[in-house]
Amino acid sequence: MEKLTFKVQRYDPDKDKKPYIQNFTIPFKHGMTVLDGLIYIKENLDNTLSFRSSCRMGICGSCGMLINKLPMLACHTPIEELKKDTIEVRPLPNFPIIKDLIPDLTPLFEKHKSIKPYLIQDTEEVEKPTAEFLQAQGQLEEFVQFAYCVKCGLCMAACPTVATDKHFLGPQPLAQAYRYSADRRDAGAKERFKQTDTPHGLWLCHLAGACSEACPKGVDPALAIQLLKRATLADSFRLTKKKPQPSVAPSPEQKKPKIAVPEFTIKKPAAKS
Amino acid sequence: MRESYLKILQYITGIGIFFLVGLHLLISHLSSGDPTEWSSVSRRAASAGWLTIYILILIFGIYHGMHGVRGLILELSLPNKAVRVLNWAIVFIGLAIFGYAVSIPIHAF
Repeated sequence: MEKLTFKVQRYDPDKDKKPYIQNFTIPFKHGMTVLDGLIYIKENLDNTLSFRSSCRMGICGSCGMLINKLPMLACHTPIEELKKDTIEVRPLPNFPIIKDLIPDLTPLFEKHKSIKPYLIQDTEEVEKPTAEFLQAQGQLEEFVQFAYCVKCGLCMAACPTVATDKHFLGPQPLAQAYRYSADRRDAGAKERFKQTDTPHGLWLCHLAGACSEACPKGVDPALAIQLLKRATLADSFRLTKKKPQPSVAPSPEQKKPKIAVPEFTIKKPAAKS
Repeated sequence: MRESYLKILQYITGIGIFFLVGLHLLISHLSSGDPTEWSSVSRRAASAGWLTIYILILIFGIYHGMHGVRGLILELSLPNKAVRVLNWAIVFIGLAIFGYAVSIPIHAF
């Protein structure tokens, strides 16, 4: 494989009536990613090509695209893994297009905001914090995989229900609703259920599992939605136990060192003669 | 009303349909003679037990079916106002079907 053909969807809403495909031929290099290919096109062949990218290492979640008909991060997709010398790149489906490969992720962020993605606590400690809330390892493991979400929108692009119902909350906000509600330091589950237990909420999920397949960070939104359904039903029938107040870490003054510092290691000020 | 209450009723009616239709099949079609015979039909129509079973199947079936149809229509990106109209339409259509259908076994009884 010496040459690659990139079939890139182009669309400028100011000029074009509808999207079209433009072909580019570029040289192949070992270890190249789809994002490297797009950067090569922008730098050498057509500087009007628009796409979004930042970290180039699958952390920021900016370069989500439909690569050979599957939603993926362009920086996280080595061309050799695709096993094809023709690569079709389109913007993420289920979102409006701003230009070329740039989707408008505003619907995702609005839905994400609606589920209150932050810890809700109505305690004195939150008003006047003295130290951080303590959390055991087991408590963290109840939700930690869902906290790896980078908000790239791939799960929303893969979801068949988001494709048909634009009001459906979608896998990302629902998974985050579970992530915060499962946190022992949070007491805002009931407020989130008002958003998620609605006609366009979690019950519209058909458990296709496409979201979990698409996630580049190994998050399983389909599992989070199932766990959220269980938590919602428990809340509906008042079977949920009230969470105990999270304990707060002792202040540094209250802390005693686990092992006493040997006396001889402490430098004493020299006695004045 | 919370969506989870409607959903749990969907599960309950689904399980109810499974057992009641199973009971109907077991008693009428598998353990006695021809269930479509006149004598067999008239005996069932005069039985209060069968009347109860048929009305329960009717209630469970209508709820389960109408809730399923609502779920399908909801996926057409309906705005909140249209969802309210849909909810009432589903309730009225369900009640109309129930009113007509329940009159038949009651009349026969």
